[in-house]
Amino acid sequence: MPAESAPHSQVHALYTDHHGWLQSWLRKKLGNTFDAADLAQDTFVRLLAGQHPPTIAQPRAYLTRIAQNLLANWCQRQALERAYLQALAAMPEALAPSPEQRLLILQTLHEVDAMLDALKPQARRAFLLSQIDGLKYEDIARELGVSLVTVKRYMQQGFRGCLALMTD
Amino acid sequence: MQPATSHTAAQALDPRVLDAAAAWLVRLHDSAATDADRRACERWRQSDPAHARAWARAEALVHKLGGLPPGLALPVLGRPVRAARRAAIAKTAALLALGPSLWLGWRATDAQGWLADHRTATGEQRALRLPDGTRVTLNTASALDLRFDAAQRLLWLRTGEMLVETAPDPAATPRPLRVATREGVVQALGTRFTVRQDDGRTRIAVLKGAVRIRPTQGGEAMVLDAGRQTRFGAQRIDVPVPVDAAGTAWTRGMLLADGMRLADVAAELARYRPGLLRCDPAVAELRVSGAFPATDTDRALGMLVSTYRVDAVTRLRGHWVTLVARSDG
Repeated sequence: MPAESAPHSQVHALYTDHHGWLQSWLRKKLGNTFDAADLAQDTFVRLLAGQHPPTIAQPRAYLTRIAQNLLANWCQRQALERAYLQALAAMPEALAPSPEQRLLILQTLHEVDAMLDALKPQARRAFLLSQIDGLKYEDIARELGVSLVTVKRYMQQGFRGCLALMTD
Repeated sequence: MQPATSHTAAQALDPRVLDAAAAWLVRLHDSAATDADRRACERWRQSDPAHARAWARAEALVHKLGGLPPGLALPVLGRPVRAARRAAIAKTAALLALGPSLWLGWRATDAQGWLADHRTATGEQRALRLPDGTRVTLNTASALDLRFDAAQRLLWLRTGEMLVETAPDPAATPRPLRVATREGVVQALGTRFTVRQDDGRTRIAVLKGAVRIRPTQGGEAMVLDAGRQTRFGAQRIDVPVPVDAAGTAWTRGMLLADGMRLADVAAELARYRPGLLRCDPAVAELRVSGAFPATDTDRALGMLVSTYRVDAVTRLRGHWVTLVARSDG
């Protein structure tokens, strides 16, 4: 590869030197070779796509920091999908969505989960009580033991957070 | 009036406009919201193209949230279900439905979590013409969702029964027309056919052309030709048999019985009748023949009573009917 840019050659070197190590580090965290290989690959893709210092003093620390972020995100998605499968299994068959809908719903759940990510647990709960459960603000206030004004503030935070992530 | 500035999709919205849109959402979801609030929101929306854009996002968001079935969304996103309180959504939905523009998103009120694009009440039949020219007749108590995109024309039969008469796709690249049920997907091959969602089974009868059936959980796809009908579950398709007139009589508002068990006739009629219609076990095996008006169940019951040795015992002003053996003779 003659015309490789400097960062790319650096990534290349990192890959050669540390890919195997990173993958086994991830495998220990995950207990699974396939997911570890995927995440190790994603780590280097992230490294290629992002900004990074011209020289990386502690390559393994640097790589694990990126991998840890990916891992946290991955675990959150896995947890959501597990909860989803459990909820589907618990649903009476007659009410369960069709296979096409299952996938659509899962995608929407991932989206909404990301939108609500920044909310504190109490605000998130208030928002879900209103938007999924259909409770009135008064009932949410009673349920959470907070004032009506606080519920409205939570709702504002929730809607605002979601709107910021909605695309046109 | 032309907008003063044009927006591209990539352009970010002013955070203050998003704050305002969120504030309107909070206000309109308040049970104390009034018509005056909705009109004020509408004025705000119309006063600036950026407001209109933010509000379009707000509506899309409400649509997204409302489309999530509570039974799945609550355990996944954070907390247990409270079905009883979900009725409150219906009230808010009604309030918002009168509001500035369309709040298509309020689907969570539906028992299935997805209030369908088209639905019929019990006893109602309705003819629809879809955007591509396809004609659909929805039978009683049915719900149909449409998802037309660049790749396909998808009809989700959520519940009930329908007759589909396909039209050639007007799109530049013709898209396949598919019907999804809980058990699988049926692709139309230029055709007229009926689909019915039963409990755990899909029934299909092809009147013209052919369809390809693909059950959800694998097995070979099968082509069903004109004049054949079958049933399928998620894993297998039954051996097809010739179409019987009884299966499609509903498209003419009729229920045809040819030596049918009274219990089955009652179950069929019950689909068209609000409330409860049941059959006493003592007369369940009675064999019944005739053409009954499905869309006029009172008359159908009257015909049964006048022809056979049964009585229709009604309670709750006709909402609860039991067919029993006639006590005289």
